[in-house]
Amino acid sequence: MNLRKLILRRSLEILLIFFVILTILFLLFHLAPGDPVSRMVEPGMTAEDAEMLISQLGLDQPLWLQYLYYIKNFFAGNFGISFHYGQPVINIIGMRLPNTILLFTTSVFLSALAGVFWGKIVAWYKGRPVDTGVTILSLVCHTLFLPWIALLFIWIFAYRVGWFPLNGMITPELWLDPSTGFFAKAADIGHHMLLPLLTLFIIHVGEYLLIMRSSMLETLNEDYILTARAKGLSEKRIRNRHAAPNAYLPVVTNVGLSLAFSINGGALTETVFSWPGIGRELIFAVSNNDYPLAMACFLFISLVVLVANLVVDVVYAYLDPRIRY
Amino acid sequence: MAKLAKQKIKEKIARTYNLQRAAEGWALFYDNPVGKIGMFLLIFFGLMAVASFIPPLVNPMYHPMTGVDPGISNATPPSLTHWLGTDNLGRDLFSQLLTGARIAFLVGISAAFMSIVLGTLIGMVAGYGGRITDGLLMRFADMIMVMPSLLVVLLLASLFGQLNIWIIVVLIAFFRWPGVSRVIRSQTLSLKQRPFIDMARVAGASHLRIIFRHILPNVLPMAFLYMTFRVTSAIIVEAALAFLGFGDPNTVSWGMMLQWVWKTGHMFQAPYWLLPPGICISLITLSFYMIGRAMEEVLDPRLRREEEAAQ
Repeated sequence: MNLRKLILRRSLEILLIFFVILTILFLLFHLAPGDPVSRMVEPGMTAEDAEMLISQLGLDQPLWLQYLYYIKNFFAGNFGISFHYGQPVINIIGMRLPNTILLFTTSVFLSALAGVFWGKIVAWYKGRPVDTGVTILSLVCHTLFLPWIALLFIWIFAYRVGWFPLNGMITPELWLDPSTGFFAKAADIGHHMLLPLLTLFIIHVGEYLLIMRSSMLETLNEDYILTARAKGLSEKRIRNRHAAPNAYLPVVTNVGLSLAFSINGGALTETVFSWPGIGRELIFAVSNNDYPLAMACFLFISLVVLVANLVVDVVYAYLDPRIRY
Repeated sequence: MAKLAKQKIKEKIARTYNLQRAAEGWALFYDNPVGKIGMFLLIFFGLMAVASFIPPLVNPMYHPMTGVDPGISNATPPSLTHWLGTDNLGRDLFSQLLTGARIAFLVGISAAFMSIVLGTLIGMVAGYGGRITDGLLMRFADMIMVMPSLLVVLLLASLFGQLNIWIIVVLIAFFRWPGVSRVIRSQTLSLKQRPFIDMARVAGASHLRIIFRHILPNVLPMAFLYMTFRVTSAIIVEAALAFLGFGDPNTVSWGMMLQWVWKTGHMFQAPYWLLPPGICISLITLSFYMIGRAMEEVLDPRLRREEEAAQ
């Protein structure tokens, strides 16, 4: 199977899963106690506006037709009007989604990279004090309670020491000033992003490190490592060229498996740091009973997880030729 | 004669439950520093949970939920009457912390147990059943696996209203079985190839009997191992829900305590209130996780071989 075929097949599978999630959400929405119409139409709306919204979303139709409307509206990007913002939901999603993707991909990428790098080295010192120490430290990092460590970081690094801003993503005054250049703006975002990034990094790096370590130990028992030794290759070359490439695979699989878990952590991080992402928006919408916004946020988060899964599969196929051919 | 019968029964017990292997396993487990630390942490939290019943008996003002110190109207630092200080309503933080241990055990163990039962059953059926059953069940597992459990529970809370602690436990269990069922399935698949299963079938055992009498005992250690990992994730999800304000308002959990300190804006002023619940959540999950890892090394001979090879 070549790479293109693999991507096509996995995309179809993902589309199917997404369809099921869409349907389950529709059913939940209608099964929940209370009136579905009142959940999509804000009480304060004028009668004409409300009528237009109801007919647009098909809420006055029989249930099976409502389902078709619902699917159609999803692909048309029509999710109704947010109660809180009074704007079409899709606009809010459009603003929030890039912020989440920025924070999420950077944190997963950096922690996977660092975890793989350190795990590789630690495996080499198996059984020595360094190994025991790093293993226990990774376990501790992995089990830290994320919102708490986020609050602690804000307290220490932003409040007491004052190195970082308390929350948010940008400094509004800087962005309103027309003379601010692109690099100054990027630096501003980076400055705001460091603390949330550090939080997510610490939570995830231990997990990747431990997986890389045990995967590396497994490959070190293989015969071809013995062959490489017999050829008289240097330890560093054996480690980086012969053992590590095969040890990457379980790490990649695990990144895929823990994506949903990472997005939970991402939403918590966004909330504590007031990072204007889609996870925070979902939590915010749920607290305010802003159902149209909450449902759309949830769908897009599921979509992010599914697409990220696809990317992980492609990376896996790229690293492991056995999958491709 | 009676002695012989007794001997026979003893042998049968030893054979069925593999007592000798269990003792060896325990020795291996206890040899591992990770397992030992985890065990001591767990005992410590267990004592905390038991001790949580004492403070309200000493004085009703120590009741974690309703007890209010009449002389205090704001958050106060630790003192002799309140060992860890009080929250902004004058409730005792030490007593809340002890109660939190009880809730963490309750949520963690019951949710983990449910998800293990579900995951093991589904995994065995998928592994033992034909290709269609297997495919359907595993696709279903995949689908649940890509759902962020915390956010799903949040969404359900918004649609169905306030969730009580038992509904939260059931929901956590429901979203946490797929990982278990994958492992159990692959174990079942390899067990299915072993001769003793064929022999049981030839002897006329029904599918149900084969699954429960011949496969289940063999996958049980693995299921038990995964239970320790599930305990950690259940505690974390419950704490996160409570932290976001969607916990059961009638229980005092560590996540709830963190929510109070965060929402009342005391996080910069009251480190004595911010630090203990977070440390407790982190350490209790760490203890279960460490026990799980130590057990993994006992159960998986491959990991042990590496240990020996390295020395």
